[in-house]
Amino acid sequence: MGLEHLANALTLTNLALALFGVVAGTVIGSIPGLSATMAVAVLVPITFSMAPASALILLGAIYTGAIYGGAYSAILLNTPGTPSAIGTTFDGYPMAKRGDGDLAVAIACFASVFGGIVGALALLLLAPPLSSVALAFGPVEYLWLSIFGLSLIASLSTGNVLKGLAGGALGMLLSCVGVAEISADIRLTFGVSPMIGGIEVVGALIGLYCIPVLIDLVATPERHLKVEQGVRAVRVREAALIAWRSRLNLLRSSVIGTVIGILPGAGGSVAGLVAYSEAKRTARPDQKFGDGEPDGIMATESANNATVGGGFIPTLVLGIPGTPPDAVILGALLVQGVRTGPTLFDGGGSIVYTFIFGLFIATILMLPTGLLIGRYAYKTIVTIPKTILVPAVGFMTIIGTFAIRNSVSDVIIMIVLGSVGWVLSRFGFAASPIVLGLILGPIAEQGFVQAWIIGDATGNLAGMFFGRPISLAIIAFTILSLVYPVIQSRRAKRTLATQANLND
Amino acid sequence: MIETTAKTGRKDVGTLIIASLLIGLGLITLYDVTTYSDSDSVVFPSFVAYALIFCSVLVIIYSWLKPNPHNGFGTGDWWRRFLLVASMLAACLAMPLSGFLPATAIAFAGGLIAARHEGWDARSAIIFALSGVFIMAGFYSLFRFALGVPLP
Repeated sequence: MGLEHLANALTLTNLALALFGVVAGTVIGSIPGLSATMAVAVLVPITFSMAPASALILLGAIYTGAIYGGAYSAILLNTPGTPSAIGTTFDGYPMAKRGDGDLAVAIACFASVFGGIVGALALLLLAPPLSSVALAFGPVEYLWLSIFGLSLIASLSTGNVLKGLAGGALGMLLSCVGVAEISADIRLTFGVSPMIGGIEVVGALIGLYCIPVLIDLVATPERHLKVEQGVRAVRVREAALIAWRSRLNLLRSSVIGTVIGILPGAGGSVAGLVAYSEAKRTARPDQKFGDGEPDGIMATESANNATVGGGFIPTLVLGIPGTPPDAVILGALLVQGVRTGPTLFDGGGSIVYTFIFGLFIATILMLPTGLLIGRYAYKTIVTIPKTILVPAVGFMTIIGTFAIRNSVSDVIIMIVLGSVGWVLSRFGFAASPIVLGLILGPIAEQGFVQAWIIGDATGNLAGMFFGRPISLAIIAFTILSLVYPVIQSRRAKRTLATQANLND
Repeated sequence: MIETTAKTGRKDVGTLIIASLLIGLGLITLYDVTTYSDSDSVVFPSFVAYALIFCSVLVIIYSWLKPNPHNGFGTGDWWRRFLLVASMLAACLAMPLSGFLPATAIAFAGGLIAARHEGWDARSAIIFALSGVFIMAGFYSLFRFALGVPLP
């Protein structure tokens, strides 16, 4: 690693590619249904004729831009543009509804840039040692990681934890629909052939988050978002100040995002949710997560963008993609004849270090471009009449869901799930636990069955599930995340009682 | 005051019905797993089904003892909600027969009518119809030609 690699990354071509990638990624990522994976996949063919480092810079820029772009629709429409932005809806949409959408968009931009830089720094400085973390994760660690993720239901359920747990179980059942990954049994389709393909996560996500909003929007004549009088398009300075005040949250969430990004299969959605939960767990008493708390947006957005750099670590060092877009990028590299592995950092160092510096540049470019695009996205969504917004978003949900697998059945499932989700939400069953179950169900099932088979074969089932150090650490964190909110709430009640006594 | 007391005393019937349906779903799953050939496919859905039934029973008990008066469908026009969802479903059913754009035009028109509370006149109808054509054509072109999605 040296200045020559930085100079290579700063050539006019690479700068133009980084800029194009970030803008294209941001726009594609902001459209519900078009995930970061799809953004990278559709633009891969144009990289085949490029130099490997330039191709990587373009793909990395698209990826990081798309992850950030998902925040726009999450904040302004309550629909995560990409699954990574699920957590952004929790506080972003309430902020937009009360007239702070411009601030939320700017906060998301600062957090994404910060997270992206932390992830890229980890890739630059710690790639080889950190990649060994990914190798230490076996099936049982994935099982416990998914259970840790499911324990977040407790913090994601607004009001009623029991309903949250029931929703999580419903989500996991939905994840079982279709052909079983391990044994190829056809499950829970009840003879309906379009169900054999299972429930597509992104389509389900669009349905569960977007359709209820549309149903609520058409029912009453009220405006969709509150418009604040005399407010500029994007409140950059205010957002920067909030981000600076919450730097610890930003740093913690970015580290969480980087580490989860390293784990193959976990991805930005899990990272965002884990970081959100940690931010909520360590919140001050005056912070109200779920009601438009800026720290919630910062946690999710910094973590999901940190997974970009984190995910490249096992991809480049081990040839194991950390996230789905990394798998597409890995394929593109193989087409170009680039062999990933530790030697890439030694023999072919020029490619990888030029790319890492390119990723830094792309992430930094995301700040002006993100704020600029955010300004227009916010103004458009706020000023557009509801009469045209509703059918336009409805059309986007149909085309976006169809595009994932070219399947009309997916669109029907999306609409039905969304309508059911609306009814459920009206009776206190939130969408987030269902989505969490849907995402983590397959990871938990695969980890459980594989760990069971290995434990059974070695005659040490208990040791397999409870005897490995990383598993024990994750179990400890899970217990902590379940017990800590209870302790915290009791402590808060005790403090309030003491204060009341003192006042008396 | 009397109204509030009456509202608080009312049972949360919606939650009770939903939780009962979830129990039913759990029982159907437990029946379905008996048809699987491989035991590896059985363990996870069975476990989740038991968890769903258990949580739903607790939800019923909790909601019976402490009903939440805020739960419910709230105010708003039902025909607009139905029109929105029905037009989107109709678009899906029409898609294999008529192609993507004519089918989604049904959903778009349904959404326009459902969302318009201010009433219609010839000018607004033309403006919104034209806007719809532009939006649909724009996104269709993006997906069909730029992103290469094989839209029917």
